[in-house]
Amino acid sequence: MSGEEAEEEVFDAIVIGGGVAGTVCAHQLARAGHEVVLIERGNQPGAKNLSGGVFYCRVMEQVFPDFAARAPVERRITRNVLSFLNESSSVDIDYWDQRLAEPVNAVTVLRAKLDAWLAEQCEEAGVMVMPQVRVDALLVEDGRIVGVRAGEDELRARVVIAADGVNSFIARQAGIRAREPRKHLAVGVKSVVRLPRKLLEDRFRLNDREGVAYAVVGEATRGCAGGGFLYTNIDSVSVGVVLRLDDLAAKGLASSDVHDHFLSHPAIAPLLKDGELLEYGCHLTIEDGPAMAAHDLTRPGLLIIGDAGGFTLNTGMTIRGMDLAAGSALAAARAAGAALADRDFSQESMDRYGEELGRGFVGQDMELYAKLPALMDSPRLYHDYGALLADVLHGIYDLDATPRRHLAGIAASALKGSRIRPTELARDAWQAVRAL
Amino acid sequence: MTTWIITTSNQIAGLVAMADRLGSPVTIVGVGIDVLPAADRVLTVPLTEGLPAEAAAPAVCAAVEARPGDAVLVPDRAGERVLAGALAARLGAPVLTGVVAVADGLFEIDRFGGIARERIRTDRPAVLVLPGGAELPGEQAAEPFDESAEPFAARITAETSDAEAGTDLSSAKRIVAVGRGFRAEADLGLARDLAASLDAELACSRPVAEGVGWLPKDSYVGVSGQTVKPDLYVAVGVSGQLQHMAGVREARTIVAINNDEHAPIFAHADYGVVGDLYEVLPALVTALGRGRDRGRDMR
Amino acid sequence: MTIVVAYKWASNPQDASVDAEGVVDWSRAKPALSEYDPVAIQVGRELATAIGSELVGVSVGTAAVNGSMAKKAAMSRGFDRGLVLAEDESADWNRTRVAQALAGLVRRIDGVDLVLTGDASIDENAKLVSALLAGHLGWPCLQDVTGVERTDDGWSIVQAVPGGTRTIAIAGPAVLAIASDAAQVKVPGMKDILAAGRKTVEAVTAADLEPSSVELAVAGRSRPAARARRNRIVADAAELVSALRADGLL
Ligand SMILES: Cc1cc2nc3c(=O)[nH]c(=O)nc-3n(C[C@H](O)[C@H](O)[C@H](O)COP(=O)(O)OP(=O)(O)OC[C@H]3O[C@@H](n4cnc5c(N)ncnc54)[C@H](O)[C@@H]3O)c2cc1C
Ligand SMILES: Cc1cc2nc3c(=O)[nH]c(=O)nc-3n(C[C@H](O)[C@H](O)[C@H](O)COP(=O)(O)OP(=O)(O)OC[C@H]3O[C@@H](n4cnc5c(N)ncnc54)[C@H](O)[C@@H]3O)c2cc1C
Ligand SMILES: Nc1ncnc2c1ncn2[C@@H]1O[C@H](COP(=O)(O)O)[C@@H](O)[C@H]1O
Repeated sequence: MSGEEAEEEVFDAIVIGGGVAGTVCAHQLARAGHEVVLIERGNQPGAKNLSGGVFYCRVMEQVFPDFAARAPVERRITRNVLSFLNESSSVDIDYWDQRLAEPVNAVTVLRAKLDAWLAEQCEEAGVMVMPQVRVDALLVEDGRIVGVRAGEDELRARVVIAADGVNSFIARQAGIRAREPRKHLAVGVKSVVRLPRKLLEDRFRLNDREGVAYAVVGEATRGCAGGGFLYTNIDSVSVGVVLRLDDLAAKGLASSDVHDHFLSHPAIAPLLKDGELLEYGCHLTIEDGPAMAAHDLTRPGLLIIGDAGGFTLNTGMTIRGMDLAAGSALAAARAAGAALADRDFSQESMDRYGEELGRGFVGQDMELYAKLPALMDSPRLYHDYGALLADVLHGIYDLDATPRRHLAGIAASALKGSRIRPTELARDAWQAVRAL
Repeated sequence: MTTWIITTSNQIAGLVAMADRLGSPVTIVGVGIDVLPAADRVLTVPLTEGLPAEAAAPAVCAAVEARPGDAVLVPDRAGERVLAGALAARLGAPVLTGVVAVADGLFEIDRFGGIARERIRTDRPAVLVLPGGAELPGEQAAEPFDESAEPFAARITAETSDAEAGTDLSSAKRIVAVGRGFRAEADLGLARDLAASLDAELACSRPVAEGVGWLPKDSYVGVSGQTVKPDLYVAVGVSGQLQHMAGVREARTIVAINNDEHAPIFAHADYGVVGDLYEVLPALVTALGRGRDRGRDMR
Repeated sequence: MTIVVAYKWASNPQDASVDAEGVVDWSRAKPALSEYDPVAIQVGRELATAIGSELVGVSVGTAAVNGSMAKKAAMSRGFDRGLVLAEDESADWNRTRVAQALAGLVRRIDGVDLVLTGDASIDENAKLVSALLAGHLGWPCLQDVTGVERTDDGWSIVQAVPGGTRTIAIAGPAVLAIASDAAQVKVPGMKDILAAGRKTVEAVTAADLEPSSVELAVAGRSRPAARARRNRIVADAAELVSALRADGLL
């Protein structure tokens, strides 16, 4: 019936996925006065998102002034530990800096809490949040994306924003990319372990609401490309491993075994002692964001943001996904806002998104870090350097009643004993400096 | 102080045992039944032909003159729960479930499927809903309660008896329990074979009985189903949700067969096999058979 | 004519944790429409549509019950409107008092002649609120109900009983607890959720209802000791059989 059709509601924007990217984008658009629907397949936003991580949250101040104080964040990271883990030794670089607390630079978050809060902010801004709905397909008319279908229902909008995460089915359906090759992806396996607050603060030497983030390489992953992490929340720690899919398959390892191995390593287990396992899960994440984000990110009427667009930087020491998700969401909200103002949803109009990205930290960081995976490829990082460092330190501290040698001598003989060739050392060092 | 028992049948061994523990004189109020176990006082609220017990709630409320300090014991069955609710609402009394102990006017109760325990005090009579327990012999000695409280206008107009009855699992020594890991009803044959070679009873999770109806309604185990305490409980394709596991807490040995290594059931199991039940069960039956033959040879 | 369905916004204790003092921490458990309540709402919706009656949802819970998640989750199931008591203090109420508040809500709705509840709530699992609510209203109650039809003077109700079913005719209003498998539940679609956003859910306060004096004092809490389990994963059926045999179980 034509009458019915005329009545059919057309929203300004439909955002698919209620993670950081989707909620931030929906919120911005609604606050700019647009009619926005946010669709999330989980019971509620956050329900399906593997909880937690370190959120480099400065970008959020643009959206929610006082974010770190108002949002349900766990702890402000003021201590960073880079840990080289070997089978029976470990070497930590432990960096604490009060300056990291003010202004707040990074916080730990639990996604179930954060995403739920973000969704509430969306509701308050007037977004129609729809949980428990899974988008099955995009509606395409004359080459333009005009809405979504979920089950039997169709919903129309002028702009559709795909924020449906690393495995973006929407990006595939829009013909933007094929299934992502394994080497661009990694699997994260993580546990959340409860520790009484006092015990946790004593054990990790933390001031009130300050936190520590460990990045662990080497034996953490049994030599698989990737790393281990441990972050402190208010009364729990998030701990686990991120493993590059192709290397995991090549090494014939099971991700859950690597995770268990890491948690029971004699250098890690004491940190978790007497803890109670609250949560365990695994989730795909992006290994090579720049390669993924090199695909198109737009179609007429469609923008792709967050993990769906490939916006994650996995530097080995840090995984940055949430800040880039938020940054790309802001860029997309501006581009969509402009398109809505001009009533122009053509490819050119949508491509303003790329320009917006280029102007902000997202596009620039993605470009800068495009070089990094080469270093991460180096198998030496996952095994040899940790052992080398330990050998040097062993030479220093193992006072076995033989005469002491000069440090350079210890280092040189340790290097000679390791499998690393001096040229490789030089090349890796150079790449590391360039990439970081 | 008085302990009251409200019942529509003689399956009240559990309540009588609780009444003994409470120690006060006992009044049994039978609804639609006048052959009742002996007690200090035995009343009967008669039901006219076709009247469901639930409709007699007004008369039961009139019959049970409970005072602070009294306990009213009610079996955990649909009809009696309704009577308990009506009475508790009239008395402004709390209704307690999951009672694990009573001492000095304090009721210790399990909450939320047994994850937490509370000790409760009340200045009202307490209404306790408990598993009814086994049938007790009755004798014809009830005095009819003759206050003419008008029953609700309800009438049984038809009855069917089709549902196949499950087995009482409370005394089973071995149990094989099936869950939604089975893809089709016909596949339950695999579990029946295992039960046969273990000489075990067959039980299930709630959705197997109530969702898809593959087994009789009363054959599921859990908070709302049966509570069991076998020597051996083999859970096959059961995820191990709290609501299910609450019924198996007292099992001596729990075995889990599940193809999801992260299924919660493994945390509650003594032995676990991570694998596809469609492969594990036949292999298990074979392994058990082999053992049996060997046993026979040796004899 | 109005049909009311009582729904509960509750968390699954499966996701809660309990500390050594027995205090339950629900912070990781996300509340939702209690698992079996959608069945009651579905039965209510079908009945209300069949007889042209209004369908109203009532609930007693914390402030979250009046939050948008809860409102949308409930209203998208097919209610016409809602009336809730949403106060955090109600979390400590015993069920007699909860039911009394529900009765208070029902009394504020005109022309109610049927109240439905779910079979059992996911956290309490008591199967008692229907009975208590009926007690407070002074109405008859039936549980394990698998079907309801309107009759001239009341309702014809099919009830599952051990070994079969029975049909009961009730004249006048009643409270029915709907069996968990009484209807196939339809998952709300986008249109249902959009529509839900436009429905009104009115909130009343405890002070608006008649006061209750049913108090329970919690004199102590504890965490029941769980039986220690071995948690041993064995490789296959053969190893399982030898382990059970070694334990003398076979
Ligand atoms: C183990 C691990 C550790 C990490 N640690 C960090 C860290 O420390 N710091 C950091 O910044 N980042 C970290 N990340 C990366 C970070 O989690 C992601 O980059 C971030 O979550 C991306 O946000 P998003 O909103 O794009 O996607 P997501 O958070 O994945 O959200 C996508 C949402 O879309 C929904 N959805 C998907 N498909 C559909 C559909 N068809 N219909 C409706 N809804 C749909 C999903 O349910 C989900 O809620 C980590 C990732 C992993 C796996
Ligand atoms: C108020 C209330 C009361 C309840 N009371 C009870 C109760 O008394 N008793 C009860 O049981 N439940 C009860 N429940 C339901 C309970 O919460 C769970 O939903 C139910 O126990 C799950 O049943 P399940 O384990 O069979 O199914 P699922 O949870 O679906 O689990 C199926 C399992 O089978 C595994 N599986 C799948 N395929 C295979 C295969 N090929 N091989 C091996 N494993 C496989 C899966 O990994 C999964 O773990 C109640 C719920 C509520 C809300
Ligand atoms: N607080 C509540 N608010 C509304 N309905 C409730 C509440 N508690 C219980 N109910 C209803 O009563 C049913 C049985 O709950 P219970 O007696 O707690 O097992 C539930 O399925 C709900 O329909």
